[in-house]
Amino acid sequence: MELVTQNEKNVMITPPKKSLSPWALARKKFVKNKMAMISSIFLLIVAVISFLAPYITTADITRINIGEMALEPSNKHWFGTDKAGRDVFTRLLYGGRISLLVGMSCTLFVILLGTFIGAVAGYFGGAVDSLLMRFTDFILNFPFLVFVIVLNAILFGKVSGLWVLIGVISFLSWGGIARIVRSKILAEKENEYITAAIAIGCSPAKIIVKHLLPNVLSTIIVQATITFATMIVVESGLSYLGFGVPQEIPSWGNMLNSANEPDVLQFKLWIWVPPALIITITILSINFIGEGLKDAFNPKSRR
Amino acid sequence: MSTKKSLIKEAPLLEVKNLETAFDIEGTDYNAVDNVSFTVKPRQIVGVVGESGCGKSVMSLSIMKLLPKGIGKIKSGEVIFDGINLEKMTESQINKIRGKDVSMIFQEPMTSLNPVFTIGYQLQEVLFNHMKITKKEARQRAIALLKSVGISRPEKIVDEYPHQLSGGMRQRVMIAIAIACQPKLLIADEPTTALDVTVQAQILELLREIQSVNDMSVILITHDLGVIAEMCDEVIVMYAGRIVERTDVDTLFHNPKHPYTTLLMGAIPKMDETEERLSSIQGIVPSLTNMPKSGCRFAHRCPKAMPECFTITPKLEDVEQGHEVACLLFETSKPKEGVR
Repeated sequence: MELVTQNEKNVMITPPKKSLSPWALARKKFVKNKMAMISSIFLLIVAVISFLAPYITTADITRINIGEMALEPSNKHWFGTDKAGRDVFTRLLYGGRISLLVGMSCTLFVILLGTFIGAVAGYFGGAVDSLLMRFTDFILNFPFLVFVIVLNAILFGKVSGLWVLIGVISFLSWGGIARIVRSKILAEKENEYITAAIAIGCSPAKIIVKHLLPNVLSTIIVQATITFATMIVVESGLSYLGFGVPQEIPSWGNMLNSANEPDVLQFKLWIWVPPALIITITILSINFIGEGLKDAFNPKSRR
Repeated sequence: MSTKKSLIKEAPLLEVKNLETAFDIEGTDYNAVDNVSFTVKPRQIVGVVGESGCGKSVMSLSIMKLLPKGIGKIKSGEVIFDGINLEKMTESQINKIRGKDVSMIFQEPMTSLNPVFTIGYQLQEVLFNHMKITKKEARQRAIALLKSVGISRPEKIVDEYPHQLSGGMRQRVMIAIAIACQPKLLIADEPTTALDVTVQAQILELLREIQSVNDMSVILITHDLGVIAEMCDEVIVMYAGRIVERTDVDTLFHNPKHPYTTLLMGAIPKMDETEERLSSIQGIVPSLTNMPKSGCRFAHRCPKAMPECFTITPKLEDVEQGHEVACLLFETSKPKEGVR
C-alpha cells in the first residue's frame, strides 16, 4: 500500500522533461565531469590572478637589484629572487600573463586560419581543395624550430617582439587544424540536409558558416584546447632556448631560461621549480578540459 | 481530375529540353539522364516513375542544379522555368530561385534536417533567404506553416530539435520548409519512400491539399504506381535515363503502350488474383557503365524485342494525341511485324 503511494508521489514530482539542445546536453555532461571541472576552475584562477598581477604585487619586474641577487624564499620574497634580484613570485604572475596571452592568441589565429582554409577546401573541393591542401602540406613541411628562429631574428627590432613570435608560431601551426576541419567538412557535406539547404537558396558562405561549421564545432573546440596546451609548451620551449619572448618580458619560459646553469639547477630550486610546476599543471589541466569536452560532445559516452 | 485536363493548353511552367546529365566515372562521362524532354504546366502534378537507378532523382537534381560537384554535370539541354533558362544562370542567381519559386522535398526525412538547429530556425532560414521579414514575423510564419502541414502543438515543436520528431513529422517539416515561400513548382523526390504506409497516405493527402490551396505544380518522383494513380495528372515513365512513355494518368493505366510500362503494370499485385507468384520483369536496369551503346536500352529485357531494337534508338513520338511512346513497335514508319 505504501509502495503505491510512493510511486504516485514520484510521478507527481518528476517535472515534464524540457527539450535540451545538443549544446545544453554537452554542457550538462561537461559539468558532471569532475576532473574537467577542477581543471577549469584551476585555469580560471591562474588566469584571473595573472591578469590582476599589478594589483596583487607591487614589486618591479624589470629592475635589476644587485643587492638582492638569488635570495632564498622569505617573508619579503615568497618564492625568493632570481639571479638578477627580481622577485620570483611577481615574475611568475606577470609571466602567466604573457604565457597565457601567447597561448591564447596563437590558438585563436591557428583555429581561425585552419578552420577557414579547411572549410573552404572541404566544401568547394576540386582545384580549390588541391591548391589549399598542397599549400598546407608546404607549411607543415617547414622545419618549425629553424624557421621560427630565423624569422624571429629577421623581424627582431622591427616589430614588437611578442607579436612577431605570436605571428610566426601561428603561421606555422595551422596546418593540422586545416586538415582535420577539411576531413570533417568532407564527411558532413554529404548529408542530405546540406543539399536541402542549397535547395532553399542558401549561398555557399551561408552553408559553410551556418550549416557546416556548427556541426564540426565540437571538433574545433576540442582541437582548440589541445592547441592551447601545445602553444604554451612551444612558447616555453622557445623562450627557454632564448628564441621566444624577448628577454626583458617575463614569461614562464623565460624564467626557466636561467635553469641552464648547473649551479641554479642544483642549488637554487626556487628560481626554476615554480615556473616549471605551473607550466606542467596548467598544461595538464588544459588537457583534462579538452578530454572532458571530447566526452561531452560524444553522444555515445554516458557518464 | 477532369477539371484539370481543360488547363492543358496553358503555357508550360517548366520546360525541359533534351536534358543530358552525365557522371564522370574514372575519366569517362556516362549519361545518367539521356536526352530527356518534358513539360510541366501550371497546377499540374506530373509523376515520374521507374525502377531504382533509372535517373529519376538525377533528373530532378539537374533541374535545380544540385548535382554533386565535380562528379555530376549537365552536358547539354535546357531547363526553362517560367521563361528563364535555369542552366544558364550563375550560382547566386539560381539561389534566388531555389526555395522561393522552385523547392524540393527529399527522400530521407531523417537526414534532411540539420541536427544542430531547432525546427523553427530552419523554417525561418528559408523565409530570411527570400523575404524581408522581422524575426517576430518569421516565427509567427513558421508556427503558421507548421500548423498548415498538420503538426499539432506547433508552438512547442517550433523550438524542438529534429531528433525529437518522428519520421512522418520531419517530412511534414520538410514540406513546410518547401512551401514556405509559396513556390510555383515543388519537386518531391520520393517523399514517402522512407515512411510507413499509414503515414505515407497522410503525407500524400497533405501534398495534394497544399497543391490545390497554393496553386502550384508538382513533380512527384516515385517508384510506386499506386502513388501515381492516386496523385498525378500526367505520368512520365523513365527507363535507364530515358523517357519511354508519357501520357495522362488514365491512359497510362488503361492503355499502356511501351512493353516496359505494360510489364510494370503487370507487376502490381492485385487483390483478385489467384496466382501465387508475383510477375516481375526479369533482369535489372543496366548499370551506368554498362549501358547498351546503341538501340533501345530496354531491349535485352524486353519480351517483344526485335533484332533492330538492338541497333536503332527509338524516338519519343506521339502514338495518340497526348500519348508519347519511345518504342520501335509504335514508330509509325516501322512495320508492326514484331507484335505477338
